[in-house]
Amino acid sequence: MIELHRVWKIYSVGPVKVPALSDVSFRIAKGEFVTLRGPSGSGKTTLLRLLYRDDIPSEGEVEVLGEEVSRLGRKEVAALRRSIGVVFQDAKLLPGRTVYENVAFVLRVLGTPRREVTSRVFDALRTVGLSGRAQAYPAQLSQGEAQRAALARAIARKPLLLIADEPTGSLDEGMAGEVLDIIKDIWAGGTTVLLATHQATLAATLQRRTLTLQAGRLIKDEG
Amino acid sequence: MFGFLLGEALRDLRRAGRAAVSAILLISLSLAALGAFWLLSSNLGQAVDQFRERVKIIVYLKREPSSAESGALVERVRRMPGVGTVKFVGKSEALGTLKQVLGKDAAVADSLPQNPLPASLEITPTAEGSTVEGARSLVTRLSALPETEEVGGGREWMDRFAQGQRLLWMFGLGVGAVLAGAAILTVATATALVLHARRDEMEIMRLVGAPEHVVRLPLLLQGMMQGLIGAALAVWALVVCYAVLGPRAEPLVTETLGIPRLEFLRPVSVVGLMLAGTMLGGLGGWLARGRPEP
Repeated sequence: MIELHRVWKIYSVGPVKVPALSDVSFRIAKGEFVTLRGPSGSGKTTLLRLLYRDDIPSEGEVEVLGEEVSRLGRKEVAALRRSIGVVFQDAKLLPGRTVYENVAFVLRVLGTPRREVTSRVFDALRTVGLSGRAQAYPAQLSQGEAQRAALARAIARKPLLLIADEPTGSLDEGMAGEVLDIIKDIWAGGTTVLLATHQATLAATLQRRTLTLQAGRLIKDEG
Repeated sequence: MFGFLLGEALRDLRRAGRAAVSAILLISLSLAALGAFWLLSSNLGQAVDQFRERVKIIVYLKREPSSAESGALVERVRRMPGVGTVKFVGKSEALGTLKQVLGKDAAVADSLPQNPLPASLEITPTAEGSTVEGARSLVTRLSALPETEEVGGGREWMDRFAQGQRLLWMFGLGVGAVLAGAAILTVATATALVLHARRDEMEIMRLVGAPEHVVRLPLLLQGMMQGLIGAALAVWALVVCYAVLGPRAEPLVTETLGIPRLEFLRPVSVVGLMLAGTMLGGLGGWLARGRPEP
């Protein structure tokens, strides 16, 4: 599903070269639930961006769903992303659209027939427990509800891989628990999950395989 | 899918607000200016065509030929390329015409010791001989006849008139082009503002793997819609101006240009203006489309 081989990502700040990832290698098999742990600035987000080809590595190989992402053209990148759902710490909901429209939007831009859109949107909203909030605008949602709406948007396309970048980072404990339960349900449905968090306790609670990054280096792969 | 993208473009158009309105007005202004010059020029063209039909080339002869010689001369000239009809006007006939023109002062002509008017040939050119080039070569051929003293007619004046029409058309085109340039920039700016407003949407679209044309098409459609609305407004303004000013200007136009009535733009020209507006807007939207991902 995912394979990184000796991956480096180096940013140039003027004449200074700053390594964000240093010689990172690991594999994630299909159907796994993996937590990517590390403090802020450890390289988690950089690593995730390489996976959905928002960036390319300076060195090394990143293979996702059987594709070496650095070699993909624009069309192939778009095709790869159709199989990946991504959730961020800030839900990134479109403020001028309702929850229903936010989820429907991604289906429509991918050419899903209109009659299929409604059923898929409500399936996704049911999964995250937001059926009753379909007509609410993002500003009317709590942070937990907004994050669940973002999850609904990510899973409505039935992705093979779900990448969650600090999805509970801005939530209180109760809301974070709800969101994690939903992510576990999504994983139980067969989706491979890679969840990045800086919260050590959260990673421990999940009791899943955990990759630990520190200063851009993979220092631990356990569980 | 196209319906969805069109809906997105309409949403963007509403979101562009004042910038979109300015772009639409500028497109209207540029196309209305272009259309007005087009309208004037086509009516002037109609006048030129009418003058051309009426214009005769007069070949003044060195001496009055005998009736047998004049018949042969008329036949020789008729066979020249660019010649429609040829009429021989003898000295006495010319004097008779002059007397008719003088009316009550015709007695002046009678007091002349001898008829000073030369015999002449009145030639009506064919359509081919009425063009600037055709008329020029016809005059050259007629001047080369041994019987010819001088070649005259209304061609120089008409050519200057046609030249004026071309100048007007060029001027209209120039003004239209400047306004069109401004309109393109305004549409590009309006679309760029929308681009800024919808960067989150574009980010989400790219993140979920939407094809690039789906990401960009709404912007292009938005520009084209602005252009189409602007062109429709321009045509409407021209129709209103034509309806209000046309009847008032017609007597003057008939008197000066000799055309019975002012004609509005032909349907094909109206369609051309609408297409031009749509393309202008589309160009603005395309220019503002932003850069794709690296």
